[in-house]
Amino acid sequence: MIVDMLRVTLNKVLNGAKLCPKHIYIATRAQSGEVKKPEKVEVFIDDKPVHVEPGTTILQAAAMVGIEIPRFCYHERLAVAGNCRMCLVEVEKSPKPVAACAMPVMKGWRIKTDSELTRRAREGIMEFLLVNHPLDCPICDQGGECDLQDQSMAFGSDRSRFTDIDFSGKRAVEDKDIGPLIKTIMTRCIHCTRCIRFASEVAGVDDLGTTGRGNDMQVGTYIEKMFLSELSGNVIDLCPVGALTSKPYSFTARPWEIRKVDSIDVLDAIGSNIIVSTRTGEVMRIMPRVNEEINEEWLSDKSRFSYDGLKRQRLVTPMLRDCNGELKPVDWEAALLTVAKVVKNAGPAIGAIAGGLADAEVLVAVKDLLNKLGSEALCTEHTFPLDGSGTDLRSSYLLNNKIAGAEEADVVLLVGTNPRFEAPLLNSRLRKAWIHNELEVASIGPKIDLRYEYQHLGNDPALLQQILCGQHEFSKKLISAKKPLIIVGSETLERSDGAGVLGTVQALAATCTGANKDWKVLNILHKVASQVAALDIGYIPGVDKIRDNSNLKVLLLIGADECSIEKSDLPADCFIIYQGHHGDYGASIADAILPGAAYTEKQATYVNTEGRAQETLVAVTPPGRAREDWKIIRALSEIVEAKLPYDNLNEIHVRIKELQDFYMTDAISRASPTMAKCVQAVLKQKQSKY
Amino acid sequence: MASFLLRTRTLSKSPLCIKWCSPSISTTAVRNTEPQIKNDIALLNPEEIEHKKKLQNYITVEGTTDISPITGIPEDYIKERRVRIYEPPKNCMQSGTNNIGNWEMEFDTKERWENPLMGWCSTGDPLSNMKVQFSSKEEAVEYCEKNGWQYFIQESKLDKKFKPKSYGVNFSWNKRTSFN
Amino acid sequence: MLQTIRSLGNGLQRFLGLRSLQTSSALQHDSLFVHRDTPEDNPDIPFEFTSDNKKRAEAIIAIYPEGHKRAAMIPLLDLAQRQHGWLPISAMHKVAEILNVPRMRVYEVATFYTMFMRKPTGTYHVQVCTTTPCWLRGSDEILEAIKKNLDLEVGETSKDGCWTISEVECLGACVNAPMVQINDDYYEDLTVESTEEILCDLKAGKKPPPGPRSGRHAAEPLGEPTSLKGEPPAAGFGVRKDL
Repeated sequence: MIVDMLRVTLNKVLNGAKLCPKHIYIATRAQSGEVKKPEKVEVFIDDKPVHVEPGTTILQAAAMVGIEIPRFCYHERLAVAGNCRMCLVEVEKSPKPVAACAMPVMKGWRIKTDSELTRRAREGIMEFLLVNHPLDCPICDQGGECDLQDQSMAFGSDRSRFTDIDFSGKRAVEDKDIGPLIKTIMTRCIHCTRCIRFASEVAGVDDLGTTGRGNDMQVGTYIEKMFLSELSGNVIDLCPVGALTSKPYSFTARPWEIRKVDSIDVLDAIGSNIIVSTRTGEVMRIMPRVNEEINEEWLSDKSRFSYDGLKRQRLVTPMLRDCNGELKPVDWEAALLTVAKVVKNAGPAIGAIAGGLADAEVLVAVKDLLNKLGSEALCTEHTFPLDGSGTDLRSSYLLNNKIAGAEEADVVLLVGTNPRFEAPLLNSRLRKAWIHNELEVASIGPKIDLRYEYQHLGNDPALLQQILCGQHEFSKKLISAKKPLIIVGSETLERSDGAGVLGTVQALAATCTGANKDWKVLNILHKVASQVAALDIGYIPGVDKIRDNSNLKVLLLIGADECSIEKSDLPADCFIIYQGHHGDYGASIADAILPGAAYTEKQATYVNTEGRAQETLVAVTPPGRAREDWKIIRALSEIVEAKLPYDNLNEIHVRIKELQDFYMTDAISRASPTMAKCVQAVLKQKQSKY
Repeated sequence: MASFLLRTRTLSKSPLCIKWCSPSISTTAVRNTEPQIKNDIALLNPEEIEHKKKLQNYITVEGTTDISPITGIPEDYIKERRVRIYEPPKNCMQSGTNNIGNWEMEFDTKERWENPLMGWCSTGDPLSNMKVQFSSKEEAVEYCEKNGWQYFIQESKLDKKFKPKSYGVNFSWNKRTSFN
Repeated sequence: MLQTIRSLGNGLQRFLGLRSLQTSSALQHDSLFVHRDTPEDNPDIPFEFTSDNKKRAEAIIAIYPEGHKRAAMIPLLDLAQRQHGWLPISAMHKVAEILNVPRMRVYEVATFYTMFMRKPTGTYHVQVCTTTPCWLRGSDEILEAIKKNLDLEVGETSKDGCWTISEVECLGACVNAPMVQINDDYYEDLTVESTEEILCDLKAGKKPPPGPRSGRHAAEPLGEPTSLKGEPPAAGFGVRKDL
């Protein structure tokens, strides 16, 4: 009743009608935040009572009491399509079965998810789906993890009435070429349209659709076009049948023969949770692992498909440069003794540069070793402005509002960042907010395609100053916003004017605090996985300190492959030690190579751009003579007589906690042939007319 | 001997006994076969019987226990290994949720290799297949402490904020949710 | 025909105790639901609405309410098809551009509706109904006559781009069967002679009047009316006396 009155009042307010005092009273009460929560409705699912919000669908209500209704087209992270009909259930007094995924519950409904009618409906749907589905499970990559397979066992008929095989046979659909990552076997498609909805909602690429009608309907792109999205691999997971499968993984392993190890992705600074599937000491594939706060259920293509780079160009044995200037494989003893001798002779004239894939453990070990030797020259490859509070305050270099927080924002200003490539999963969050939360996005930086509409303010850092002074029209929006976000790309801050940009952005963030005290406006988006941990531990961002040091004797590169420093920058007699897992740039200039482990081969801590420490787990053992990175430093420290006080992972974790109170753009992707194919595909698509 | 008598009396009352008797004869009086004398009990002396009885009951020990000295697991496997306690998430490939919602423990991965003869996967680690499920985190922790394993708990956020799904938003005229 | 041969072949094999490799049949449909670039249909050929049609397009879009402008898609595609004679891929792109929707959404609509001709179609599109009522009334003969007259097979377009024959399902004029639709006009109550006459007229550049050829005005009985001839009875007609 009150709701009705309110509606009347609000309409009157909107129409500019005169208000009597009674109405004003009600209107103000509504504004003061005393919003009456809609009453919950009680429904019975298989006679189990459940109280749900109005508007909840039958399927959701059933999930609340732990009853799972079979489905193909419904996916909790996509819009409701309601076209597979697998979720049909009986509702008491309804003459026909009802699609549970699309039907909101009504008060007092009695839903029967296991009645005779429901079971018959499911069996019928299953039969229709299987009429045109090939019986090629033995050669299908989805076999063993296929929803259609499982549900036909659970709900399908135990015999076939399909006898038409001699007359017209089953439907056959031509396969599509949608790129080097996704293999399509369209005859297997059951038209659930999950991939289409993913493409248009999450990825923002409206290239997939259904063409034709009836029995001739097919899912595809109509024209010859690749599915160019940095999140495209997720349609492989979404596909409930084997129509979309992974091209690099095809015919390599079966789900029941692989072991799954939970881990963390390190190829961007988001720190997506992943599952590494292995067989016989080989990584077979990488899949996303649900974490609502980071990657939800998605994974970017780079993280998913560049695992084959872990098998190529690896450093498998220690190497020393001989008198001819050639790197020669040696054993660990020789390598460590030689390196230790050089390090010992150098004394405090030693420096270290940490690359983008270094883990917190090795960063700590190297810092402790160099400090013991009397050196403070610890640098990261990626720079960060040190002016102002620099890196002393943790909040000055973190994505403070967290990745999940981006969903709630109402105005976002991107400064010199392309989240679509730097952090695809943050971009998908922004797109989600853009769709469901009417988010407004503006960007300062190069004009790019973010897969959602945004206001491009320009490419001039001076615009920030204008917004700060209130001279720009956007500043009003930013200040009046309830939940504004400013996301600054770390790449912008590496430029010569980076410090100025950061200063202006900090001042700007201070002016627009938003309505909520806990809301953090300033957010830094890093590009590499190691940066936050390195800054936490006390590394100096940028390699200037190394470059300026004219009497440097030894330089330790910890997976530093970004060409941030060249041999010509260093004194001629400087001995370069490279410790890492891939034979990339760093290894080519090194005098000694100590082979380390990649992220799938060690238990190591990484801190993502929001400052969240997460651990990778050992999925496979390092190849050849490669060893876990911190253990190499620990062994070296013993020989140079500066023994580090930790012998196992727990002890070094204690040390990390002491230090800081926290709890293809990289070598792996470059070595990956799959990623190379993607680059070719993009080039090919660019030449295409569509 | 007293205990033996007691056993036979309970036996004769049990319904099993009826099967041994012919239906015409009273069920309580006559027995067709000789009762089996259990050698192990009959030949024991009273102290041994007493000991056996005690063993049948539970032994309660105060406080937490460490059973690692008596499990027979080599010390390497107890001291060196780390156990991860975690909540398995839903498999992204499939929609089923039957095997989640509990806590699990597993050991760190050791080297595995391909058997050169048959191509099978081999490992030298007997603990690699020890995946135990628990109904709660605390139970898993208790189990690890009891066995003397080092453990760490990995928590990840698996549940999300509830939002009613709506078919209608596909067709809203002024929202960005309408794709169709 | 193909099916018959195949089933015959299979029957023969079974009879002889032979087994063949089972294959799935290809899509048995006269049109393709993926696009293939051809010299006459590719995205490099520009498509532009004429200035008249641009005005029409604006008027069409104005009909639809804000937020539902994409509902103008079917009328616009139809407009493009009328302008161009058939619907090339660049016309679909143009419509997508006008309505500001992804191209795929237009492809979906254009492939769903069979009246959008996605391959070159003649100026005169002869659609012969061969569904049961027309077939019973001799549509096979009509079709034969048309094929012979135009020297074309079903689904083909003549070299001069004037004629296309297609076989269609029921067009809803069963009461005047057999019938043929040429572009927007229905020609009904056909005989072989009248069909040929229509084609000759069209070839001569004349436009034969649409409608029944049997002298009927519409769907009334041939000759005299046979029922409902008297005055309509008054109220109470046929009702039991005791009521």
